[in-house]
Amino acid sequence: MKRITRHLLSSVLAIAMPVAALADTSVESTTIVRYFQDDRAGFSTKDMAPITQFLGADFDKLGDGNLSLHLYGWGRMDLGDKSFNNDRADGSLTYGFLKYRFNHANAQIRAGRLFVTEGIVNEQIDGVSARTELPMGFGISAFGGATVHTADISGENTDGKGDGIYGGRLNYRYGGKLELGVSGLYETKAPSFSQVKNRSMVNNGKFGDHKLIGGDIWLAPHSMVEFMGRTSYNTETDAVAEHSYQLNLKPVKDLVLTGEFNEYRDRSYFYSSPVFSSMYSALRDRSRVIGAIASYGLNSQTELSADYRHYTREIGNADRMGAELSYRFKGNDIRTGAGYHYLRAGSGFAAIPSSTTSASFHELRGYIMRDAKKYFASADAIAYVFEKEIAGKKSAWEVITSVGYRFTPAIALSGDISYGQSPEYNDDLKGLLRLTYNMSYSSKGGAK
Amino acid sequence: MKRMISIFPVLALAGLLLVVAACASIKSIPGLPDSHPESLIAGQQINCSECHDNSSKGTMKPLTAFSHTKIFVKNHRYYASSDDRLCSVCHKASFCADCHTNQVEMKPSVKYGYRPDLEMPHRGNYMAVHKIEGKTNPASCYRCHGRANNERCIACHK
Repeated sequence: MKRITRHLLSSVLAIAMPVAALADTSVESTTIVRYFQDDRAGFSTKDMAPITQFLGADFDKLGDGNLSLHLYGWGRMDLGDKSFNNDRADGSLTYGFLKYRFNHANAQIRAGRLFVTEGIVNEQIDGVSARTELPMGFGISAFGGATVHTADISGENTDGKGDGIYGGRLNYRYGGKLELGVSGLYETKAPSFSQVKNRSMVNNGKFGDHKLIGGDIWLAPHSMVEFMGRTSYNTETDAVAEHSYQLNLKPVKDLVLTGEFNEYRDRSYFYSSPVFSSMYSALRDRSRVIGAIASYGLNSQTELSADYRHYTREIGNADRMGAELSYRFKGNDIRTGAGYHYLRAGSGFAAIPSSTTSASFHELRGYIMRDAKKYFASADAIAYVFEKEIAGKKSAWEVITSVGYRFTPAIALSGDISYGQSPEYNDDLKGLLRLTYNMSYSSKGGAK
Repeated sequence: MKRMISIFPVLALAGLLLVVAACASIKSIPGLPDSHPESLIAGQQINCSECHDNSSKGTMKPLTAFSHTKIFVKNHRYYASSDDRLCSVCHKASFCADCHTNQVEMKPSVKYGYRPDLEMPHRGNYMAVHKIEGKTNPASCYRCHGRANNERCIACHK
């Protein structure tokens, strides 16, 4: 798969070079060098210095002006000891597709590696996707191709995905007040496993093919009211996988009150994921999250929000509550914020449940940043304070400071230093250097 | 059977006429512009309704529905799953790919360590609390790490 990805990326780049001269082009590049040391007792000390290159390019107005090419991916090489998995170098083509955009009805066709988000569908494919609006408020979309595989699960030569996938969505809109959609996806048969524990997951009905159908709704009968959500149904388990709904009320300008309802049947929701299916028994099946959020813009600079969520699971109940404040001034150059949340959760949610453990913790965060024309700087602190110690530690906290300088509006060099302590690390000191390059040779007005 | 065969051309013709009529009508359906005509300030929470007071041509939804309040940002999945064409007027696909990817190289909050004002998942030392959060609401983990982007999960969850 990596070989295919490498060939695909090099072919696309080879095509992209000549077309870049003809098109509206924008390029974004971020090069990051990190340094950190792993010095755990009982293990040899490792000094790691991975260098990562993120690269993206967009070539618009190709051909008759409606064709465009979009590429994004990353590659990493370890300058010191191995930083992750078994390879000293790694990379991924996140997306790389050609898009033809029609002048009418928001119609478009995409081909290549792309993400599809349509109703209940949220997939990455190597294939084709097309959609258009139709007369009388209807719309239709369809996609098909090969699944994009991810890392193999332990002891297997597969990630648990089938090789082919297709699906689509049909929707209806009425007068800017209602949108209804039905969508579905069908993935070809999930691969078989060689490990006994994984085969038992299949035999016990925890894991199987990825096939879903569902519906979504967006309703705004009045400018102050907005209701949206979706329900998905797993045709393999013959049960609902997810209900997710949200109601937004906007009684006055700059005030948004939100109520949310989410219910999951974990067996059906996790059914096609080997990683999550394997955790199903410990998590049990049914879970529900009911919550409310209030967000108020005090003025154009200040936003205050408060939220509450109640979690109902077969292993117990939990509540989360808190508030956040953000403030911007000096023409948006200085941005600052603070937040506090408390999770009240019983021992059933603890890493190791017992009568003496608790999963409750406080979360505190504060940040400030300055983004001036030539330089930028920030400081960010976040702490999780546990009600009962985890691995002998009362908290996990981290402070990140960053400073940067713009040589030109397109090129900037910045560096971060972070330090923290946690149940995993007595001292967690990390450094990072970042070079960013964002250049647009586009005649478009909008900065995307 | 003969009757069916004689009806078939009529039905096929009617179907063809419907397709042609639909295609002709499509040309009268407006589309969104391919990009926002004015530059938007990076880092600013955009309130579309500051400039737009009605449905934009082609969206068929009031623009107040897309104002980027804190709540909108946290629940943008609902909007993106039904109207990401509107998102793409202002945002490049790479804007989404910082978080939504098949194989993540580093936490978005590390890549953008100089932007603490952005809403990003797993800030700070999240490793310690993920054991609790994962039991509290595993569905929220599944959305990003269920069938993709889980290379680091499977290192421990075997």
